[in-house]
Amino acid sequence: MIRLVLLVALLAAGTVGVRAQQLLDWSPEEISAVGQHGPWPPPPVQDPSNRVSGIAAGVVLGEHLFNEPRLSGDGRMSCATCHQAGREWSDGLAKARGAVELDRRTPSLWNIGYLHWFGWDGAGDSLWAQSIRPLLDPREMNGGPTRAGELLRNDAAFACGYEKAFGSKPGTDDERLLVDTAKALAAFQATLVSPRTPFDEFRDALVDGDRDRASRYPLAAQRGLKLFIGDANCNLCHLGPRFTSGEFGDIGIPFFVRPGVVDPGRLGGLQRLSASPFNLLGKYNDDVTASNTRRVRHVQRQHSNFGEFRVPGLRQAGRSGPYMHNGSLARIEDVVRHYSEVSPDRLHSDGTPLVRPLGLTPQQSADLVAFLRSLDAETPPRPAPAPLCP
Amino acid sequence: MRLAAALLGVLLATPAWAGDCPLDLGRGTGWVVFSDDYLMAFRADPLHIEVGEPFALLINVCTRRGGAAELLAVDANMPAHRHGMNYRATIVAKGDGRFRAEGLLFHMPGRWEINFDVRAGDESERLTHDIILK
Ligand code: HEC
Ligand code: HEC
Repeated sequence: MIRLVLLVALLAAGTVGVRAQQLLDWSPEEISAVGQHGPWPPPPVQDPSNRVSGIAAGVVLGEHLFNEPRLSGDGRMSCATCHQAGREWSDGLAKARGAVELDRRTPSLWNIGYLHWFGWDGAGDSLWAQSIRPLLDPREMNGGPTRAGELLRNDAAFACGYEKAFGSKPGTDDERLLVDTAKALAAFQATLVSPRTPFDEFRDALVDGDRDRASRYPLAAQRGLKLFIGDANCNLCHLGPRFTSGEFGDIGIPFFVRPGVVDPGRLGGLQRLSASPFNLLGKYNDDVTASNTRRVRHVQRQHSNFGEFRVPGLRQAGRSGPYMHNGSLARIEDVVRHYSEVSPDRLHSDGTPLVRPLGLTPQQSADLVAFLRSLDAETPPRPAPAPLCP
Repeated sequence: MRLAAALLGVLLATPAWAGDCPLDLGRGTGWVVFSDDYLMAFRADPLHIEVGEPFALLINVCTRRGGAAELLAVDANMPAHRHGMNYRATIVAKGDGRFRAEGLLFHMPGRWEINFDVRAGDESERLTHDIILK
């Protein structure tokens, strides 16, 4: 009996103890820094360079095209071969496998519509321009310049879907139909918005001053978040609701592809951008005001762009390794170890380095991982797309 | 993400000695920067600079004696990290010492130093102003 009373007393004390511990102290500056990583989700994407962006018929057409192997040279590969719904819109491989193994990892397509530069090197300045590359690239789908046009013209369902989305029957200009295919693909991809996560619940509660709700967020994640926005300075680059500035950085990941071959990253991307007939300065930009061309008109190529890669967003990242542009780190724990131990020799910076070996304790590393994982959520299985022309 | 720029400047109030210098940028906002020889007022468009979003600067510049001056270049860098912008601003003269610098973008929170190269006659000079982006 005494034992039981003791046990109850202990349990009660325990509960109170846990309660009191559930919320760390958050300063006004920290709350404001945390607040900047939300709210989530953001408003739907509207891309003025793409006249079917946000148009339901364009989205449906895009999803069918996304899953369509007839767009590839051998009729066997579609966008969905590498960007798989069940794998966070990536493929789980370190390096993508097309006709051959590519030099880079397949990025996730979550929240892709909110970016301004596309690909690890930012060679694309619109989501639709970026969607043309895999269609043509001989190492990827190898579709050739006329295949998309032929499909849209000759397949009755696609021809009908095209007319519903673009308001006219597919014409004879294959390049225009290739671009329109990419614009429908982009309209679909822009709808891929990742779900709300435990972090978002915490962020909203903290901003609202709701301590009860905020205290449901695990302590380890709270400590990791404090590191992320504090001493570790992760939010210098992984900022905003998507946890990326959308710009480029060098965090000391080696850029040797194989002996004697390097991946120049952003520097090469800027070269490809200016050479592309499909960039926003070209004739396929649907935005008559051209106000969306400010980045591409003013971006400058600099030596420091060599070996820079786009800062990836971190939502759903815990579920979608391997990591980095070359898939060189297998697990999220390995990423945290990289930031903890990165050799300063690998970092090219003469000022206060943006990335420096953090020398994290095992506890801090685990906290940072717990925080990163709180940016993940379960995603419901994707229903089959609506028919093109019911 | 809305980011208010914290400003280390003198808030705009047209000083008596400004003469004909067109310091009024409208909307009653902006910053004044001056040296022995030059007087300059500027504001951002849009008013709030957001990390990762392009913006322009509206700039009025003249000599301390109220004469005409020219804006040659605008650039910005983060002294702490010794890196500049990934973008190059272009300048359009609007007449009467008014200029618009288009295409700036701050890609990181922290202290940015904006440099303005101004000239009247043969002498050019660099005026600077710090902005802290949060
Ligand atoms: C063989 C595998 C593969 C196929 C097939 C493929 N992709 Fe990709 N995708 C990649 C890789 C690898 C990258 C990174 C490319 C780079 O950085 O240069 C990428 C990048 C992208 C990006 C940019 C993502 C970002 O984060 O900026 C988009 C958008 C995209 N693909 C859409 C598509 C579409 C649409 C299709 C079908 C037309 C497609 N992909 C087919 C592997 C593939
Ligand atoms: C200087 C800017 C910068 C800072 C600071 C920074 N990162 Fe990164 N981060 C990047 C870039 C750039 C990449 C991609 C590098 C590559 O692929 O070569 C990246 C990659 C990652 C990835 C892998 C994502 C993926 O999909 O492959 C994670 C996770 C990550 N960072 C978390 C963090 C954490 C945690 C911190 C703080 C300890 C941090 N980052 C600090 C720029 C930065």
